[in-house]
Amino acid sequence: MLTYITRRVIQGLIVLLAVSFICFIIFRYAGDPVLTLAGRYATHQEQEEVRRAFGLDKPFYVQYTRFIANAAHGNFGKSYVSRIPALNLILERVPATVELATSAILIAFLLGVGLGVLVSLKPRALRNRLIMAGSLGGISIPTFLMGILLIMVFAVYLKILPPFGRGETINLGWWRTGFLTLSGLGHLVLPAFTLGMYQLAVLLRLTRAGMREVLAEEYIKTAWAKGLPPRKVIFKHALRNVLIPVVTMTGLQFGELIAFSIVTETIFQWPGMGNLLLISIYESDQPVIVTYIMLAALIILSINIVVDILYGFLNPKIRYD
Amino acid sequence: MRKAFLLLLAVLLVGAVCGPAGQALGASSIVIAVDSPPRTMNPHGSDADSNLGVMANIFEGLLQRKGPQGELVPALALSYEHPDLLTWKFVLRQGVKFHNGNPFTAADVKYTFERLAVPEVSEFVNTGKSFTSIETPDDYTVIVKTKDPTPWFANNMHQIYIMDKESTEKRDPGEVGVKPIGTGPYKLVEWVKGSYLKFTANEDYWEGAPSIKEVELRPITESSTRFAALVSGQADIVSGIPVELYDKVVQDPKIDVVSRPARRAIFLALGNEPGSPTADIRVRQAIYMAINEDEIIEKVMRGHAAPAAQIPDPPTIGYNADLKRLPYDPAKAKELLKAAGFEKGFELTLVGPNDRYVQDAKIAEAVVKYLAKVGIQAKLDVKPKAIFFPEVNQGKTYFYLIGWFDGTFDMGRTYFKLIHTRDKDKGFGEWNGSNFTDPEIDKILESTASMVDRAEREKTLQNLNKITMVDKIAWIPLHYQVDLYAIQKDKGIKFQPRPDQWMVFKEISKQ
Repeated sequence: MLTYITRRVIQGLIVLLAVSFICFIIFRYAGDPVLTLAGRYATHQEQEEVRRAFGLDKPFYVQYTRFIANAAHGNFGKSYVSRIPALNLILERVPATVELATSAILIAFLLGVGLGVLVSLKPRALRNRLIMAGSLGGISIPTFLMGILLIMVFAVYLKILPPFGRGETINLGWWRTGFLTLSGLGHLVLPAFTLGMYQLAVLLRLTRAGMREVLAEEYIKTAWAKGLPPRKVIFKHALRNVLIPVVTMTGLQFGELIAFSIVTETIFQWPGMGNLLLISIYESDQPVIVTYIMLAALIILSINIVVDILYGFLNPKIRYD
Repeated sequence: MRKAFLLLLAVLLVGAVCGPAGQALGASSIVIAVDSPPRTMNPHGSDADSNLGVMANIFEGLLQRKGPQGELVPALALSYEHPDLLTWKFVLRQGVKFHNGNPFTAADVKYTFERLAVPEVSEFVNTGKSFTSIETPDDYTVIVKTKDPTPWFANNMHQIYIMDKESTEKRDPGEVGVKPIGTGPYKLVEWVKGSYLKFTANEDYWEGAPSIKEVELRPITESSTRFAALVSGQADIVSGIPVELYDKVVQDPKIDVVSRPARRAIFLALGNEPGSPTADIRVRQAIYMAINEDEIIEKVMRGHAAPAAQIPDPPTIGYNADLKRLPYDPAKAKELLKAAGFEKGFELTLVGPNDRYVQDAKIAEAVVKYLAKVGIQAKLDVKPKAIFFPEVNQGKTYFYLIGWFDGTFDMGRTYFKLIHTRDKDKGFGEWNGSNFTDPEIDKILESTASMVDRAEREKTLQNLNKITMVDKIAWIPLHYQVDLYAIQKDKGIKFQPRPDQWMVFKEISKQ
């Protein structure tokens, strides 16, 4: 088991290096930051001076090795736009994104699995057919459209939910949370729904399919025959076995939600990491972009490793060596 | 029993939360939604208007601009003189204090000017490097000498903000970029990046405490969300209403739309390489006359633009009121092309940004279509501004769409960057992406560098304007943008938009 973990960690580091290398190359050709740094009225000489001051005149491999060497010490460079260390810029937005992603995955999981179980019991009932049709919509409608529609309906016409922002937040030390205020929770509803809609639909369909399969098994028929109450049959015996792949998938999706909530954050002006990434791409803020993508890769890699290991514990048939 | 306890807890929580929240916005507070967030609280860290406009509330320059024409009036300096071509003398206002209590003196001005030349903290490198000496004979006098004659030097002083020497030197750049200390009418209370900025009035402000006591600035980059914030009543003033949503906003009875011709002119730059079709003045006239600008304004800009016959706007020195647009006449355009020997047309690629100006990509599309109608095989090449502007700066774009306005209200400085023949050593023509070159224009331009008398400058620049637009057709002007703002009607808000799009809170009042 230990060798397995070590091997996965080393593989992860190689992937991180590769990601950073590719990012570096791409964003070298995606715009010249010196133009913005030196100001609109700078002469060519002044631009060259600024280029030298930021080390942007050195050849590619020098810039890259310097970046990796600094990164190993935790220094990811300063944002070209706000002159603040890139890592700090991203880290201070982590609470917003994590809270949004957590709420989204909770909604997706609870509603997805709950509705999936409901629908699997009487698949041909009208209500359940409507729910399945709705889930198809959840998968097909793009996130930005969903977000804008929800804003129009709930914020502009019905005026019961706020259209943007996090609302009142409270600082727990370094972590700025919106969970502890009514305003913060209210502001979470629409964005979390928008972000989690796709996962909700997927989990719904997955649970339904899994439950249909399991409910036809012999041991379930035995449970019914034994006269067990329906709650026990469905949840204790059937759902448990369906949950293993569902939980694994949810865990993996969580990493993706944290890393790529860009569209939802832009629509709802949510001050999270995704919002920062989009702004930085527009402004060719290389240090922030490269740091962000490395961080995203790190998060997804770590979550994958953890989920794989947990899966080994959950399912005794899996052996790692 | 447990349920009752939980219910009580819930009620207390709601009460605890809603109580303070209810007092947040009283009678003299306001919420403003803007389209671009400020990047840094370091006043020299960005020369973008979105940042400078926010800084204008916390910091002040030696001079400031007020009124619809952007008139230059005293701020931290009571007066200034220009004794010779290279020297500027400023007499400073006394009794002004920074937000931390430090007195404002000439030492702060000297420190600020020297800081401008440091690339790690300043984007005003060009201004910073233009000084040869900065002297402070006493606490309230500053005498600067510039390397070359700079007639527009004072005109730039409204966007050079004075920082407190003592605290800026003591703190590290990271803190300076987050906690600003200026002399302005408002202090920054809280900045949650990407969410909001909260300001409170500076009661000791030298011009008198501003009337609105609490201001909340919310940057919302997504235009449909900004619109939702407006119609749901969450913002009192909203800037940057997109032209496509104008009709919806105007219909809402609770909202007032305020529009103002912007300073920015959108125009086409076209090279005149000897031997190419566009070196012939008739071809340039043909291209000008082939474009139906009225239709562009009506259909693409939805009526929110004013046709332009030149690049400077009326308050700028160099604006020539006698200039008129060439009429839209595709038949004449075809005749001119034929007379120049290009009846079959020629190939031309229009380059432009797609995320910088209002409807920029659509305008470029329309221009290409108009040119095709008179036989010119025009191609479209629009790209993000991060790629477009470096190409212009390197002189790789022969025919491109761009917008410009000069913060110093003096066309001379702009002409040097936009139309003078590219000269890397002298620092001319940085933004002359099409490599347009004309010795007559260069000569007249260079002669204005030493002109300080405003009347003389005005006459020469107006003449130069006429030559570039009529005799040489150096550029093909399209239109001036229009700035659209929306205000909640029944809150008694009085708001006059500024020509530079800055939101200066001390100029807004609320009954």
